Amino acid sequence: MDTNKRKKNILISLTFIFSLGIIMIFAVTIGPANVSFSQAANIIGSKIPFINNISDLSNVKNSQETIILQVRLPRIILSALTGMALAAVGTTFQGLLKNPMADPYIIGVSSGSALGASLAIVTGVSISIGYFMVPFAAFIGALISIFTVYNIARIGNKIPVYNLLLSGVALSSFLSAFTSLLMILNSNETSQILYWMLGSFSGKTWEHVRIAFPFITLGILSLYFFSRELNLLLFGESTAQNLGINVEKTKKLLLVLGSFTVASAVAVSGTIGFVGLIVPHSMRLIVGSDHRILIPVASLAGGIFMVFTDTIARTVLSPTEIPVGIITALFGAPFFIYLLKTKKTIGS
Amino acid sequence: MNYHIKMNNLNFGYSEKKILDDISITIQKGTFLSIIGPNGSGKSTLLKNIAKNLEPQSGEIWLETLDLLKLPPVELAKKMAVVPQTFQIDFPFTAMETVLMGRTPFLKRFQSETEKDFTLAKWAMELTNTWHLKDRSVTEVSGGELQRIIVARALTQEPKIILLDEPTAHLDIQHQMELLELLESLNKTTGLTVVTVLHDLNLASQFSEEVIMMKDGKIFASGKTSEVLNAENIRAVYEMEVLLAENPLNQKFNIIPLARSKNINIENKNIKIHIICGGGTGIYLIDRLQQLGYRLSAGVLNIGDSDWSKGKKAGIKIIEEAPFAKISEKTINNNLEAIFTSDLVVVTPIPFGMGNLPNLEMALSGAEKGKKVIIIKNNDPLLNQDFTNGKAKDILEKMETSGAEYVENYFDFFEYLESHFKERL
Repeated sequence: MDTNKRKKNILISLTFIFSLGIIMIFAVTIGPANVSFSQAANIIGSKIPFINNISDLSNVKNSQETIILQVRLPRIILSALTGMALAAVGTTFQGLLKNPMADPYIIGVSSGSALGASLAIVTGVSISIGYFMVPFAAFIGALISIFTVYNIARIGNKIPVYNLLLSGVALSSFLSAFTSLLMILNSNETSQILYWMLGSFSGKTWEHVRIAFPFITLGILSLYFFSRELNLLLFGESTAQNLGINVEKTKKLLLVLGSFTVASAVAVSGTIGFVGLIVPHSMRLIVGSDHRILIPVASLAGGIFMVFTDTIARTVLSPTEIPVGIITALFGAPFFIYLLKTKKTIGS
Repeated sequence: MNYHIKMNNLNFGYSEKKILDDISITIQKGTFLSIIGPNGSGKSTLLKNIAKNLEPQSGEIWLETLDLLKLPPVELAKKMAVVPQTFQIDFPFTAMETVLMGRTPFLKRFQSETEKDFTLAKWAMELTNTWHLKDRSVTEVSGGELQRIIVARALTQEPKIILLDEPTAHLDIQHQMELLELLESLNKTTGLTVVTVLHDLNLASQFSEEVIMMKDGKIFASGKTSEVLNAENIRAVYEMEVLLAENPLNQKFNIIPLARSKNINIENKNIKIHIICGGGTGIYLIDRLQQLGYRLSAGVLNIGDSDWSKGKKAGIKIIEEAPFAKISEKTINNNLEAIFTSDLVVVTPIPFGMGNLPNLEMALSGAEKGKKVIIIKNNDPLLNQDFTNGKAKDILEKMETSGAEYVENYFDFFEYLESHFKERL
């Protein structure tokens, strides 16, 4: 990148970081209990080292502080993390598989985690053993399905992309059949399973954040680590190799890293659709295909988009919550169509 | 060690099908090597094995002193650049970004491109005439422009050896020449080793120092361009009849395709043909008739005549005379003997003058003794000129009354041979 472009990229990244911060604080203020932007900023500021000295809590009620810190903030942080994970992995998989239809779930994460979560729900272990049984079962389900797809697709030492896509589709159908069967046989839990599959951040706590945070941040950082390789992979595996990339090793690493990242997000949020598909495409239309800028920007945009849609999900029909997956599709699709029609250059 | 690449007993195939069969080649440092051969002969596969895009089942490849098959991709990329045959990119990178990717093997993970990298990219883009495209997206440029951008990226790698798989396939004629001339000049000035798969035999003959000719996954011939690209090899590999015409402008030669080859009949061994030719009119005939298995003689030919040297190379019987000399009595007797012992006499479309008129008279003697004489007509007015004040014309008429026949051209002559001798056999 030349100096101008590097400056431009830093500026874009800072803008997105700033926007994410602002939208998170705004989201915190929105809800049944009334909190102003400055109150929210002060409450959050008081918990952050170095700026806690300048935070002024004099006109903040205790109840407000509790709502902000214990109810809204963990949920918003979790939604931002999930959005970031989905968008970063979506970007990576689209590049890795050279397929514009690729999303984070393409190699079986969603169906595997859904089956895992459904099993935990219908067997009742989530009630008897512990609250975290559903995320845990979803995480294990995702990993088992990825492992299976990976091994079906593998030929000797290589993972041909088409094999990967097709075995992902095949296994997804297979696992979804089981999930559907579970739903039919356990009509009492059907809505709970459906709710989980559409995705929601309702009732999420700091505990969820603590579990998801290290996985997701490490995951996104490690994907960013491979942005140059991803650029070259877009030109084909042979070309990438001729330009010095160890293709098979990189592919495997990216698949494993991406899958772990998205499985962690899904475990705590359910299978929220659309974000991982359209946010990468939208950002590609705006900043181009260079993953060195695309991964951070798409990731931040995913966070922004998710915080925005989750805020709508929990407020628009308040006190009823709508699964956030419905909102992402409802708002994301028209926005994406608008971008497609105005920019017209997605791929060739 | 003066080789750049050395390949020993390389085998490559997909499950049952063998694509490369026990290939051993040596690529000299600083050479310009073309790999040619018909579709499916394995030339692209050979290139991909050298590029390490395909992994051979057995065999070894050395890049100078390094074991290429064990070399990490990044080390190979610092020495070797590859321009692939087909290319598709669906993601909008600019031409500049694309060319800069050639610097990847030299950059550390989070290191940005330096001033040197930009200078190299600009240099390569100016050489390939793509600098004006630098801000255009590679999804929007034409196939030929993309091809040149990819070549620019390869040059940005500062390679010691460059592999190209049919680099001229997407290019129109001026860009074909431009690209090959660029490679030629880099080859000459910087000693860049160029290895390219080419379809066009004329481009191969014009630009390459050496040629590897492949057939059915094997090396059919390899060596200096002029030694490999001859009518015989081309016939064997492509089943095509060609004429090699010297290009006096650049001391190279052009390859002119004539027709598909016909099958060789080994029974032809029993048939002897005497050729009356001269001045190069017999070159193709000698070559082809010998391939078809006929026994040949030719004469009288002056020593040093191009037909004479062709006949000598082919090892046929030649009745010869000193350069520019009158044909002697003894030579005439020898030639008559050759005519009388042959089954057929063929007269090529040569202009007749007083010097070679005896050749025509001898053909007449043959015709009068019942030998079949075939005269190949030619519509070339220059060749039809009579420099003998009608004497040649008289003889030709006499020959016709004695049963000599005319055919329109070389191809008709071969058809005549086929139909005439089929009955006899």
